Amino acid sequence: MADVDEDVVQTPATGQVEVDLSDETQDFRFLNHLNFLSDAASPSIPRRGEKDFEPNPTEHQADVLSASRDAMHNALSFPRLHRPKTTIIGYYAPGGYAAQAELDAQQDAQQAKQDEKTSESTQKKTPPDASKAATKPVNVSSDACVFVPNPKGQFFKTLGQADRKNRVWLLPEEALYLLERGSLDIRWPSTSDPEAVSIPMSLQAAYACFVGHGGLTLERFSVYTGLKRLGYALVRAPGWSDEVEATEDTDPASEPSPPKLHGPGLAGILGSLFKWIHDPRKTASTATGPIIGFGIHRHYMDVYRKLAIIPWYDPVTAPPSKPSDTTPPFRVVFHIYKPSTPFKKSAPPAPDFRVAVVSTRDQTTMPTLPQLGALLESTPLDPPHGEKMQRMMYMRLRHGYRNVVMAVVDQGVVSYLRIADSAFGKEKLFENKGGPQGNKRGGRGPGGPNKPKRR
Amino acid sequence: MAAPVTSTERPASTQSGPADARPPRAPRPPRPNFRHIHRFPLPVTVHHVPPVIPHNPLSLISVVLSYLTFLISPPRQEVYSAYFDSATSSIHVTDEDAIKALWQMGFFGKGSLSRSEPSWLAREKKRRGLLGGKSSEEVTRQRRTERRELKLERARMEKLAIEERLKAEAAARESGATPDQDNQSTPADGTANDTATSTEKFSLRKAKEARMLEARNQAAQKAAVTDSTDQAEKSPNGKSVRFSPVVQKKEFLSNSPSSIKLPDPLVDSIEADEEPIFENEEHLQLSKEEAFFLAYSLGALNVYDAPAKAGQNQPNSIISTTSLLKLLCNHSYYPSRDASAALQPDDPFMLSYVVYHHFRSLGWVVRSGVKFGTDYLLYNRGPVFSHAEFAVIVIPSYSHSYWTETEERKEVIAAKQARSWWWLHCVNRVQAQVLKSLVVCYVEVPPPSASIDDIGALLGTYQVREFLIKRFVPNRMRD
Repeated sequence: MADVDEDVVQTPATGQVEVDLSDETQDFRFLNHLNFLSDAASPSIPRRGEKDFEPNPTEHQADVLSASRDAMHNALSFPRLHRPKTTIIGYYAPGGYAAQAELDAQQDAQQAKQDEKTSESTQKKTPPDASKAATKPVNVSSDACVFVPNPKGQFFKTLGQADRKNRVWLLPEEALYLLERGSLDIRWPSTSDPEAVSIPMSLQAAYACFVGHGGLTLERFSVYTGLKRLGYALVRAPGWSDEVEATEDTDPASEPSPPKLHGPGLAGILGSLFKWIHDPRKTASTATGPIIGFGIHRHYMDVYRKLAIIPWYDPVTAPPSKPSDTTPPFRVVFHIYKPSTPFKKSAPPAPDFRVAVVSTRDQTTMPTLPQLGALLESTPLDPPHGEKMQRMMYMRLRHGYRNVVMAVVDQGVVSYLRIADSAFGKEKLFENKGGPQGNKRGGRGPGGPNKPKRR
Repeated sequence: MAAPVTSTERPASTQSGPADARPPRAPRPPRPNFRHIHRFPLPVTVHHVPPVIPHNPLSLISVVLSYLTFLISPPRQEVYSAYFDSATSSIHVTDEDAIKALWQMGFFGKGSLSRSEPSWLAREKKRRGLLGGKSSEEVTRQRRTERRELKLERARMEKLAIEERLKAEAAARESGATPDQDNQSTPADGTANDTATSTEKFSLRKAKEARMLEARNQAAQKAAVTDSTDQAEKSPNGKSVRFSPVVQKKEFLSNSPSSIKLPDPLVDSIEADEEPIFENEEHLQLSKEEAFFLAYSLGALNVYDAPAKAGQNQPNSIISTTSLLKLLCNHSYYPSRDASAALQPDDPFMLSYVVYHHFRSLGWVVRSGVKFGTDYLLYNRGPVFSHAEFAVIVIPSYSHSYWTETEERKEVIAAKQARSWWWLHCVNRVQAQVLKSLVVCYVEVPPPSASIDDIGALLGTYQVREFLIKRFVPNRMRD
């Protein structure tokens, strides 16, 4: 009977197979359909043709292949224009905002001396140790190292942090992303006048300067830029820097919570009155078994309740942990927002997903339970809710009580895993009255009308 | 034994009349009433108390009566017997009734000659023509043969299309520089839409339809039988499109319609007449966890240390639960450890039993997940009702301070906990392909304890925590 499972393997044509386009090499002929290449009047969505799995000697196949190649070259040879009007120029500030603020203050002071208007500059002047005082009210990260004096365009809706002078400060990953995109021109700093025309920074130089700056690793950058290109908005999470080490040792108070054993059940008064006759409890012994005891059992539910002797972890009652309890690679470093989520830079909403980034070359093994547990406990409780979840137990289990996305980066290849704390112990399957969900042979059998989609 | 007859999803299209316009569907053989057969979730008898209706004093009497009958003649809980086989480190059940009961009530064990349900006898009888119907194994085999045929058909069609195209191209080349417009314009235009329609590929369904059409043509012109054999012989000659030579060899057999290679029932039935009774050579094999669960938790199984001899009347001794636990723990290593070896808290058997018991106590039917590369599969009610939804892998965890006391211990536990990312990705991808959700079940291992006198207390020192791991595809989560 169980062999029918194997049929699933062989008939993935049920329409619910995962076909991940990003896994495949694209057929670039679809590019010919995009409107910016040919002003085609028919705005049809390009359809994918059928795939040849093996080369065959027909000219047809060779032609299709070369057509695809041509399309790719055609797309690549499309002239990309950078109009001076839309050019965004940023300046590299290796010292970050603090140093720049100091520099600004000095300049302001000079300017003030020249103009002999001291009243304004004394207000703006910052003390020499400006890092704390300057960053606090302005809310520019100390890792930001590129500033854009004239921020314009749609990028700055989600990127950067503005300072008092209305400059936008970009974090290294943001600057690198924009530079790679061709949307930003970064200039090397010039000591005399920061906004005078200076030497543009090359992509190589940008990588050299930014990767490794302020906790940005290549793995984190590939996750950042990959998700950013898909349209997500990303912000750094509190767990970004490794310095937030645990100050005091975590107390071992995370003792296993005992299983919630139910009471003897609704046996009723009469039932308890007659319990003494062949009460299986009398012969029940967890020491040598049988756990359920000999004698007369009144109901399978009681049997199952007696069987529940293995403690399980309850994510609801577990105490939440701080990001500092987590061990470095297993720590939420990005909060990500779907493109559809209304995102405000000044007041970011609750993230749609939380992402931890792991490099397989530094952390060669899967996380252990303490590592994974701490990572999940650092995320807020997100129990399954909604009418659909109420109805479908499998969905509840799959959703879990907490969840986190782990980006496992192996030499530039990113695999995302969603990890959920699913607490099977909270779903007493034996209490389920109805038949199983999901049918063996679509539509037949005891599934009822509200059977969930498999998968 | 539950009649292992299952309905065919896809009846052999070739068997029915070729004149049928619609795809032929053989009437499904009736499914056995699984809800009735498997109405007890555990091999434990349960006696419901008659309901008490407050305004009906008679109902009270019926309750009292039922209790009185229990008092006078207490019903016996069935205890099955099995023996431990150290060679396979599994527990064998040979008694027919016990096999039937353990399978039907909770899906315990596996037939030693069957894929899961012990159905060897029924299959053998059918093979010899003593019984009608089909066993699930036969249905599966038939379905696989059909599928392979369809794939071969598709490959043949594709090859024909390629040959045709080659011919057309050659003709175009000969005729000069004016190539066939239809064929040549497509790549030059280079649009995906055009190629999608012009490259004729054959899906499985198309192959099926094509075959039906072919069959109908054959019926129309009866003499065309030789045609199909011609084609069948022609196809393996050319270049193979996508099948290994092993499969190709079978093409000869499978291309003719009704060539499911089963032993001929007519021939065998003659033999069967001569010896109509034969012994069931199959036994039920219980895994270590299943046996311990039945023996220790439910008290429904007595495990003997050796098989019962024919002449004797159960001379072998029952293994007590404490020594059974020890025995199974020692046999969870390979080669099995010495009987004197001390019990370790992280014996593979302890870990797997804790997980097994946990899910069983929640009402899941837990079966081995070895065919999908996992430790367990979780079925809701049982494999005959629905596919397993969850696949479980077990990983030990050593959070207790005892395990990190010395450097030596740290190294040992690090090695025991280590699972590579590649392994995880492998398991995860397989589960996605077979439509299961992957559950990583961590078992918290307690420090070693002095005695195993109280098994319940020992099991209570473990803790399980389940994580559900699923691939996250950012492309599809954008909404």
